[in-house]
Amino acid sequence: MSNTPPRFATWLLEHFGHPDSREEVQGDLLELYDYWVKTVGVRKANWRYSLNALKLLRPWAQSKTAKKYPQPILVSPAMIRNYVKIAWRNLSHAKVFSLINGFGLTLGMTCALLVFLVIVHETSYDKHHKNGDRIYRVETANNSDPNTHPGTYTEMAVVLPKEAPEFASIVPIYYQWGKGLAVPASGEFFKERVAFTNSSLFQLLDYQWVTGDARTALSQPDQVVLTESYAKKMFGSTDVIGKTIRYDTKEDLRVTGVLKDYPKTTNFPFDVLVSFPTLKRVQPDFDSHGWNGFGDNFQIYTLLKPGFRPEQLTSRFHAIQVKYQKDPKTIEHQHFVLNPLSQLHYSFNFSGRQANSKLLNILALIGAFVLLIACINFINLTTAQALKRAKEIGIRKAVGSNRLSLIYQFLTEAGLITFLSTLLCMLLAWLVLPSIATMMGLPLTASDLFTWKIGVFLAGLAGLTTLLAGTYPAFRLSGMPPIWALKSNKLPQGERSATLRQGLVVVQFTVSMILISSALLINRQLSFFQNADLGFNKAALITVGLPDNKPEKLQTLRAQLMESPQIKEVSFSFNSASAESNWMQGMQYRKGATPIEIKTQMKMGDSHYLDTYGIQLLAGEKLRDTDTSKASFKIIANEIFIDRMGIREPADAIGQKVYFGDGQEFATIVGVAKNFHVNSLHQKIDPTVIQVVPNNFYQAGIKLQSETPTTESIQAALGTIEKAWKTTFPNQVFEYDFLDKTLAQAYQNETRTSQLIETSTLIAILIACLGLFGLATFSAEQRTKEIGIRKVLGASVTSIIALMTKDFLKLVAIAMLIASPIAWYAMSQWLQNFEFKIGISWWVFALTGLLMAVIAMLTVSFQSIKAALMNPVKSLRSE
Amino acid sequence: MKRAFLGEFEEVVLLTVAILDEEAYGVTVTQEIEQKTGRAVGFSTVHTTLQRLEEKGYLASRMGGATAERGGRRKRYFTVTAAGRKALAEVKQVREELWNALPPQTLQLMGG
Repeated sequence: MSNTPPRFATWLLEHFGHPDSREEVQGDLLELYDYWVKTVGVRKANWRYSLNALKLLRPWAQSKTAKKYPQPILVSPAMIRNYVKIAWRNLSHAKVFSLINGFGLTLGMTCALLVFLVIVHETSYDKHHKNGDRIYRVETANNSDPNTHPGTYTEMAVVLPKEAPEFASIVPIYYQWGKGLAVPASGEFFKERVAFTNSSLFQLLDYQWVTGDARTALSQPDQVVLTESYAKKMFGSTDVIGKTIRYDTKEDLRVTGVLKDYPKTTNFPFDVLVSFPTLKRVQPDFDSHGWNGFGDNFQIYTLLKPGFRPEQLTSRFHAIQVKYQKDPKTIEHQHFVLNPLSQLHYSFNFSGRQANSKLLNILALIGAFVLLIACINFINLTTAQALKRAKEIGIRKAVGSNRLSLIYQFLTEAGLITFLSTLLCMLLAWLVLPSIATMMGLPLTASDLFTWKIGVFLAGLAGLTTLLAGTYPAFRLSGMPPIWALKSNKLPQGERSATLRQGLVVVQFTVSMILISSALLINRQLSFFQNADLGFNKAALITVGLPDNKPEKLQTLRAQLMESPQIKEVSFSFNSASAESNWMQGMQYRKGATPIEIKTQMKMGDSHYLDTYGIQLLAGEKLRDTDTSKASFKIIANEIFIDRMGIREPADAIGQKVYFGDGQEFATIVGVAKNFHVNSLHQKIDPTVIQVVPNNFYQAGIKLQSETPTTESIQAALGTIEKAWKTTFPNQVFEYDFLDKTLAQAYQNETRTSQLIETSTLIAILIACLGLFGLATFSAEQRTKEIGIRKVLGASVTSIIALMTKDFLKLVAIAMLIASPIAWYAMSQWLQNFEFKIGISWWVFALTGLLMAVIAMLTVSFQSIKAALMNPVKSLRSE
Repeated sequence: MKRAFLGEFEEVVLLTVAILDEEAYGVTVTQEIEQKTGRAVGFSTVHTTLQRLEEKGYLASRMGGATAERGGRRKRYFTVTAAGRKALAEVKQVREELWNALPPQTLQLMGG
């Protein structure tokens, strides 16, 4: 016969046809195929054959009553019902095992779920904008520094539209983190974040308007647009067009529009948008054509025309630099970069939160690890328990159950436990979500838990866990020869399976130990941060902002504050001795043959600065408040600074001149201060000078009398400060910070990491202990007879406990050997982040090992003692 | 007595099986119906109908007669059971009663 029917149809029929009538149907169709080939041609015959084969697949064609000796269909509804029923019976029969299994799986899955939730949240920022893939931020980069600066020169906003036709729109945004806003109509005042921008912002990002016109709302000076919730907050309604808001007690703004509230997941959380031209009015010294310096709070966002790639603009940017930047050195050292919208959440942005992709990766890893440990537990316990079920499996096989149906049976059991765990895990996640959200600083609520994404993830997770946890036991147990099980009620207890089970326990303990030693080390680094000698005194120091720094205002404030007996010293300055945002400036020392360039951090403070912050003066004298004259600038330099100058002895530096600005201005060193940490401990100490510049005083540092004030005395002091502040600056919102708390915020990331690792450590230990407990139970049960005989022959209780515990301690020792180098490597990588760090000492790993050994002992001892105390008569009698 | 219900196609298949006597299996039944009625019937339809009739007890089957042209697979031969014969007879009787009840002029019109 030359013609054969379509192979695929035959295959389908072979595999999915009803087993009862498979043979005759295949035969009939083959016969008919030949007939069709003869009568209607090959093509039609092929077609008819396939069509008929398709129609004969289950469930379209099946007989309702079974034949006398039907071939079993293993996944028929009846069998599935049976699997579930048996699975349920088995689970409720071995309650302890099921509970341990279920609890472990629940913990693991909850971990995985929460990690997924966090990752989904962090990666969902600004995904809702129509033009999202064409939006870029213009960033400034120094060639020597891999990190770019989010801000850029203010002049760029003017230059770009003229010079770069590739952009469809260019949006400057100037962000103020806290500005006084008043509603004259009601007399209320607020301190809010304000974004200065123009109407093109609404072309860039997707906004929905409640009222107002996107084209004109921010085109003129003194216009302001609010979000719906802010309109309600400030005016009590959304019908606010034409109403007045007073900005910073100076300028009246007219409300021209109301926007719908933005979603949580945005890097542009603008509630108060003020038209860009207003900026020049409220802040006359704002340099809108600056090429000298830039800050993070002025950023430019652009919309690229379709079809252009950001790399194509590199030469364009260079041309702009050459044309406008006056300083040839800057042109050489700097370039501009376009950073896509999708990356903004991972670098500095206006939302005040940035995701750390490294942390996210660590999280994902931890989640996977914890889930893996839980699955290992499951595998371990199930295979261990198989001994008890050897007879069941043997009999099932003997009466004709095939391997496939046993596999289904075991998978159903795994699936059932997983399903119950999934339900529990939802509940658990819902319970702990608020505290996780606070810990991670994420705006997550319960509603984030009930989304389709989470549903799909959970379903996938449950499926994966079932396969991960169920496949090995299913294949292993179903493959047993029945004769073993029936003859001696014993599994073929090959060395291999025991080794594997022990190997899994070692893996669990290794992971737990890595986590424990990491947690210990991170904690030590954190307490090092807290207790490090910063070179200044951060205790009992309150900082308050200064909305206005006119000398007479500051004089009255100082006089009022100093009257209070609780206050020791007050200093007005640009920032604290150590702060997040700093002022860097180039300085030049021209003593030698070639002038020495020193990149210097400027600390601007009055004559009380050193006393308030407790900075030590090594040589020379303090500054005076009158040291402000341009002709004779006086500065105090730190040790690093004079070291860069090439001066060893502090006293030698007094009277030396350093040049800055255009190279004509100079300042004279009148004092040398002992080094103090001007940055967080992540970074080195910069060369630093202190200088009196009253124009740049933005905060007051207030040192209390007592180094360790009580809550009451702090309250009293705060009361005094607030009263004095409010009389000096009426109609402003009073806010204060404690310096030590502000400084601690610099280590927020590390604190978060440590909390995370601690939590996951706890969970990992808990799961590992559950597994160990299960194994100990199993091993105690398995050795009941052995122990009975040993006791009869005269073994003591202690020796039996030792016998039972020894095996497990061996595993802990192996785990320690594996875990220590891994943890050491990981931690030394992490510590690279810090300029000032602790050393990794060996005792951390020893302590971890000891801790783990104790935990393992405690877990195992319950079962060991129980087994050792058992009456041998009982265990030996029952045969 | 409750009458057996036979669908129109079931009736055709059942009759064909009776006609073919010892030689009735899937292929022959399909071909016979095609030749006798001139209408194209799908094998799958015939197969399911045969199964259904067997479930209803009108047909009995046995396996046998493997040939090379069907890859050595056996055929399932069908024979009409007593119940099947009775059902056919009943259907025939109903038809005849209905024909007989037809008024003569209508019959003439139809014939004309």
